[in-house]
Amino acid sequence: MKITGRMRKPITLQQREERLAWRLIAPTAIIVLGLVLFPAIFNVWISFHKVDLGALRNVFDTRFNGLTNYINVIKDFSFKFESLKNMGAVVTSIVYSLASTVLTVVLGLAAALLLNRPFKGRGLMRAIFLFPYVAPIVSVAFVWRWILDPRQSGVMNDILTRLGVIDMPQAYLSTRGLALLLVIIFEAWRYFPFAMLMILARLQAIDDTLYEAAEVDGANNWQKFLNITIPELRYVLGATFLLRLLWTFNKFDDIFLLTGGGFGTKVLPILTYEFSFKTFNFGKGAAAAMLQLLLVLAFMLVYLKFVMKEDD
Amino acid sequence: MIETNTQKKQNFIEYLAARLSLKQFIFWIVLIFFLVSILFPFYWMVSSSFKTYAEIGGRAPVYVPSALRLDAYRELFDPSHPSFQNFGRNVRNSLLVSVPTAFIAVILSTLGAYAIARFHFKGKNALLNSVLLIYLFPGVLLIIPLFAMLSNFASLLGFEVQDNLVVLVITYLSQTLPVALYMLTNYFRTIPDEIEQAALIDGCSHMGVISKITIPLSVPALVSVFIYTFMIAWNEFLYAFIFLNSRNLFTMPIQINTIFNDPSPRPHVVMAASTIMTLPIIVLFLSLEKFLEKGLVAGGVKG
Repeated sequence: MKITGRMRKPITLQQREERLAWRLIAPTAIIVLGLVLFPAIFNVWISFHKVDLGALRNVFDTRFNGLTNYINVIKDFSFKFESLKNMGAVVTSIVYSLASTVLTVVLGLAAALLLNRPFKGRGLMRAIFLFPYVAPIVSVAFVWRWILDPRQSGVMNDILTRLGVIDMPQAYLSTRGLALLLVIIFEAWRYFPFAMLMILARLQAIDDTLYEAAEVDGANNWQKFLNITIPELRYVLGATFLLRLLWTFNKFDDIFLLTGGGFGTKVLPILTYEFSFKTFNFGKGAAAAMLQLLLVLAFMLVYLKFVMKEDD
Repeated sequence: MIETNTQKKQNFIEYLAARLSLKQFIFWIVLIFFLVSILFPFYWMVSSSFKTYAEIGGRAPVYVPSALRLDAYRELFDPSHPSFQNFGRNVRNSLLVSVPTAFIAVILSTLGAYAIARFHFKGKNALLNSVLLIYLFPGVLLIIPLFAMLSNFASLLGFEVQDNLVVLVITYLSQTLPVALYMLTNYFRTIPDEIEQAALIDGCSHMGVISKITIPLSVPALVSVFIYTFMIAWNEFLYAFIFLNSRNLFTMPIQINTIFNDPSPRPHVVMAASTIMTLPIIVLFLSLEKFLEKGLVAGGVKG
């Protein structure tokens, strides 16, 4: 270290540590705040301006156009609810993320209960159960598309025909309704391992004496599950549900790769993408993203205030 | 004849019933259901990659390929193939993006996590909360302003935003650092700080403590952070999709998407490329599963 002759009040140990701490965390903070927080705020600005492809390289010269972008988004026929057949991105997003999150948590709970009891090869099973979650999204999405291939040679068509469930090959991912259902099932298939891990960690922390006491009182398995396991898991179930819902709501890749957002699966992230990168109306895209964020924030506030409150 | 058959069946069911309680029966049924639905897509991916074009395009699906045919892999890697994809180049691009992302993320988050775990400073909580805010923002929300922002910088500083792997590494860092920071902070808090205090009293600097004590004690955590950030960068689709236009710089996910959307569908090639992309991840995961799992829960990897 260089010793300078500058006249300075000697700094305390506390101050020196504080400076060191800031220096250590500065690179991380600059990258994350600069590339996440700043763009997020900048997005608000963009959503109030007329930004198209040509304007992208000098956004600051663009025209302020008030709420026009927001009004355009809300009036857009693929955004708002039209009918049950054409639900619009908002309702589709809500249905999609709620349904797949519920299914994810239920499957995760089932898997966790399954793997919580000791049996030979449990470690290996646990590792295998995590495959869908760790495998790259592009690979698993395309395998699913290939399994659900609409031709007679598609393996799902073949199996269901042999079982007598269908008599004509189905175009699973390009049939309204069915496509949304399959995307929901795909989400649950891919993300249940996350719920499983969270629940499993909590399950293993439950005090065995609770079950022993219940046994003494003559409780059966179902009663033990309802009155001990579920209450003990309530907090972790609530937290897992919230996290998964948040991430599913914001998810772009999965639906984009499975259906491209067609056939009644156009969720908000896909719509935002299309506004921005298909029609190159970045202002409108930014406004759609803001509306999406507002929906998430509103939901989180309600959820934390009313659902999770008692658990504290 | 029929009688003896039903008799046999009856015996078998009785035998099963004697061996298995209802509870066990349900347990095995559910376990098998999970295993089949998890493993079948992976089996289908790998087996399809070894099929020929005739097997893939036939009237009925081929459940087991007749032989381990490398047609699909030849299309990916053999320059003499008529529709050679030069997939080796995409593997290289993916590595060029994911390895630096993982290395830099580990180094930066080690320093940051040490600061958070060991020092009290003003604004620490505000900083931590804003870092965790990333969980709230959808990727599509960030990509428009990020693109506009980087384009402005780019024309000022004279670099390209599109088709620039360095830009991709930096954006991946912004996505992975919060997770890495969170995981490592939690880990560092579990290391008792008496040893560090002793070293400090003996005249060791804080940087010395980090490199001589904290890092050696945290090898498992550092490895799992490395693997996680590597996996996130390796799997990432949206940012690469927007930022890369040149086939020469495509990472694997983008190239696979391109092959998939080719006018003449060749699912076996898509499956071969997917196998190549998935295999290292599964192998890495299986070999290091023990402590990776803990990290999954602790860090709640965004995804």
